[in-house]
Amino acid sequence: GDSWGIFTFLCAALCNLPALPALNCSEELGAGQSIQQTYDLTRYLEHQLRTLAGTYLNYLGPPFNEPDFNPPRLARAERVPSATVDLDLWRGLTDNARLAANYRAYSRLLCYLRVLDGQVGTAELRHRLAHFCASLQGLVLSIGGVMSSLGYPLPAGPAGPPAPPGAPAAPNDFLKKMDDFWLLKELQIWLWRSAKDFNRLKKKVPPAVVTLRLEARGF
Amino acid sequence: DSHIQYERVGADVTMKCGSMDWDAAVTWTANGTDIDESHLNGSYLILKNVDLSQSGQYSCYEGSSWHLKYQTYLRVGTPPKEPVLMCRSNNYPKGFYCSWHLPTPTYIPNSFNISVIHGTKDMVCEKDAVPKNRCHIRLLQLFSTVKYKVTLTVTNALGKNFTTLTFDEFAIVKPDPPESVVAKPVPNNPRRLEVSWQNPSSWPDPESFPLKFFLRYRPLILDQWQHVELSDGTSHTITDAYAGKEYIIQVAAKDTDIGTWSDWSVAVHATPWTEEPKHLTTEAQITETTSASTSSFMAPPTTKICDKGAVVGSGAVAVCWTAGLVVAAYSALFI
Repeated sequence: GDSWGIFTFLCAALCNLPALPALNCSEELGAGQSIQQTYDLTRYLEHQLRTLAGTYLNYLGPPFNEPDFNPPRLARAERVPSATVDLDLWRGLTDNARLAANYRAYSRLLCYLRVLDGQVGTAELRHRLAHFCASLQGLVLSIGGVMSSLGYPLPAGPAGPPAPPGAPAAPNDFLKKMDDFWLLKELQIWLWRSAKDFNRLKKKVPPAVVTLRLEARGF
Repeated sequence: DSHIQYERVGADVTMKCGSMDWDAAVTWTANGTDIDESHLNGSYLILKNVDLSQSGQYSCYEGSSWHLKYQTYLRVGTPPKEPVLMCRSNNYPKGFYCSWHLPTPTYIPNSFNISVIHGTKDMVCEKDAVPKNRCHIRLLQLFSTVKYKVTLTVTNALGKNFTTLTFDEFAIVKPDPPESVVAKPVPNNPRRLEVSWQNPSSWPDPESFPLKFFLRYRPLILDQWQHVELSDGTSHTITDAYAGKEYIIQVAAKDTDIGTWSDWSVAVHATPWTEEPKHLTTEAQITETTSASTSSFMAPPTTKICDKGAVVGSGAVAVCWTAGLVVAAYSALFI
């Protein structure tokens, strides 16, 4: 399950390190570099999302693709995890809580996106969505990697089942499009928030925290 | 008792002399000056197509007794045009401010009312004492998906108008320009300038919300700017300055992830270090200097202009910018 995902990620990361003896990771590598990589990944995804969202909203048609479209949140949309948080609460989050919030959010957003992927009409959109989902999966693994390297347990929950837990289908076409609109919006805001989350983590995680606890996991 | 009367530019104004009958004999004055009878219709004063210059105090006196019967202050103006509203966060994530002004003056007093709605919540925008047409809001939540809607209504005695802005929290983030920009020459480096600056003091939390910077520089004699983008750090060394030319340098700041670039900072001027005496390039000029060898010269670091290897220890005089090597060669000649 999770351990294999982490192991694969760590192997991939290590394979990219220049000329190091296997598993002899000095302390500057590991957490610090993974956080930087995760940060870079959120920026890349944010860039990708801009193109994807533009295409998808045009596919949904007006009013969803109008720049000042500002609908009220309907109760059903609350199921998509929101990045919105009280300022003081956000500041006071522990590293573990901060990472866990990101991990949980992207795992669920990924589920919802995969459902979307199965439903869209045009080939171009399917292609873009598939590419984005793959990158988003990479982000989830990356965050998981950081958490493991810092010794935090991964939040329980799905990393990959195809159907979002307990979300009833929208009763009509318009409401379904509203769901899609909010999904993309929340994704956009999460990526912005993550950039800030990882900025904070970059500063706070001391370089001396050694990372690979493969031995503790019995490898 | 005194009144104030507001009228539009170009309107026709009729003033009645208080409770006096229409056919009473009265005299009107404008700012103390008698008004000609041709402007009167009975005891009413008629002003046609009023303009701004006709603003003032109008008084009506009973014909024979010169009793003051009525007095009013006429203010000629216009109803407000659509106001100009701008909102910006230069102190993210603390909050943002909105400021406004009228595109053209109305010449009469105006009152402003601003409302801020976030989703379903009404927020209070606290008015600033200075500057006057400005208010600020504290952000209670971060990373909101719901837009803010700000409506500014301007009202005066002749009418009202309004404008609305709708925006996302992150779209209005624009820091103030960097402060304390300093540019200094680097000793013994004729092509370098060291530039340093500070985060704008209004930016409350550069740790969690770091800024990135954009530096631009050009010699005064050229129009084309050079640009450098810096993802962190508050200093930079320019290494390709033209020797001896005065430079103008500016820096701008932006949150690393959201919002827009600040305005350019105050410009600073600097000229790269040049050696004294300048530009010894020919044999004739070198033989002129006799006493230079007594001062202690530190061997300057290699610059791209001069290849060190060619000169040291040889009797030949080489064409070279660096003073130390010139002296070394020169001393060799005289020993």
